[in-house]
Amino acid sequence: MGKIDTNIKDALDNVRAAAQGLHGAISDAAAKRGGATKADLEAFAQKAKAVADSAKGSLNAQNEAAKKHLADAVTHLEATQKHAVEAAKSSGQAFQTSIKKTLADARASVQKISEAVAAKRSAMFKKTK
Amino acid sequence: MRNYIAVIFNDTGKAYEGLHALWQLDGDMEVTVHGAAVVHRDNLGQFQVDTKETHPGLATAVGVGIGALLGALAGPAGAAVGAAGGAGIGAATGGMAGLVADAGRADTRQEAAAETGFVLGDGQSAVIADVSEDWTSPIDTRMKELGGIVYRRARSVVEDDSWYGSDLYPYDYYLYPYEYVPPAYPY
Repeated sequence: MGKIDTNIKDALDNVRAAAQGLHGAISDAAAKRGGATKADLEAFAQKAKAVADSAKGSLNAQNEAAKKHLADAVTHLEATQKHAVEAAKSSGQAFQTSIKKTLADARASVQKISEAVAAKRSAMFKKTK
Repeated sequence: MRNYIAVIFNDTGKAYEGLHALWQLDGDMEVTVHGAAVVHRDNLGQFQVDTKETHPGLATAVGVGIGALLGALAGPAGAAVGAAGGAGIGAATGGMAGLVADAGRADTRQEAAAETGFVLGDGQSAVIADVSEDWTSPIDTRMKELGGIVYRRARSVVEDDSWYGSDLYPYDYYLYPYEYVPPAYPY
């Protein structure tokens, strides 16, 4: 009853996986001894941009509910990129603040993409009932 | 529907099997997992968020929150004392994970059990998760196979608890900062 075809994973699932990977990498770097390096932060900024671009690319394929969550996720991913760039250029307390903001926005993007995935799956479930 | 679930297991190993099974159900598109954590209560009644797969930097962040979370899942009676206990002990221990939540006291336990039946006994572990599910069978069936007992509260109901968002619980998300999010989507 209501089982969804598991072969129809799409770009949204890949965007979610990429955002989860980004969040994991940022939290690993933030927790490591000595903190995140400039190279780490530049890589995070690039990855955040890439994930945001992928999310934007799959926006039009989503239903309205998923589209709204995904648009919110893009906002958080762009903020992640911005804070990572700021962190790479700063030091001391400003650096710590930017790292925290980078992590918080990356985590928020994962949550929003997760909500988009749930909205999409729910719509698919209703169709198969 | 967006729900918080608590799946109770008699040992930590089984709880981790439950955690992996939950993410597998997500990978199979049966449910969507927004975050999950494993919580253990030792034989002395101390609660701790297991650090095996929760990010160490996050799992040891502070004691505040886990008492609140468990209390929230146990119902309004557990919520108030869980939040107060968690905040007090988190502040006192300077960020050590693990606390004795008042929700574990016999009188509160009975009250909470009467409302939802959710009690984490000494020596037991639980998978706590925030999930979206269109039907409850996938999680119920899989967790039953693993020997787990599933309890649910709608996220909207949990967030309607009067203390939510107060100074006692400073986060906007119950599982933060304890949640485990897999580094890669489990295909």
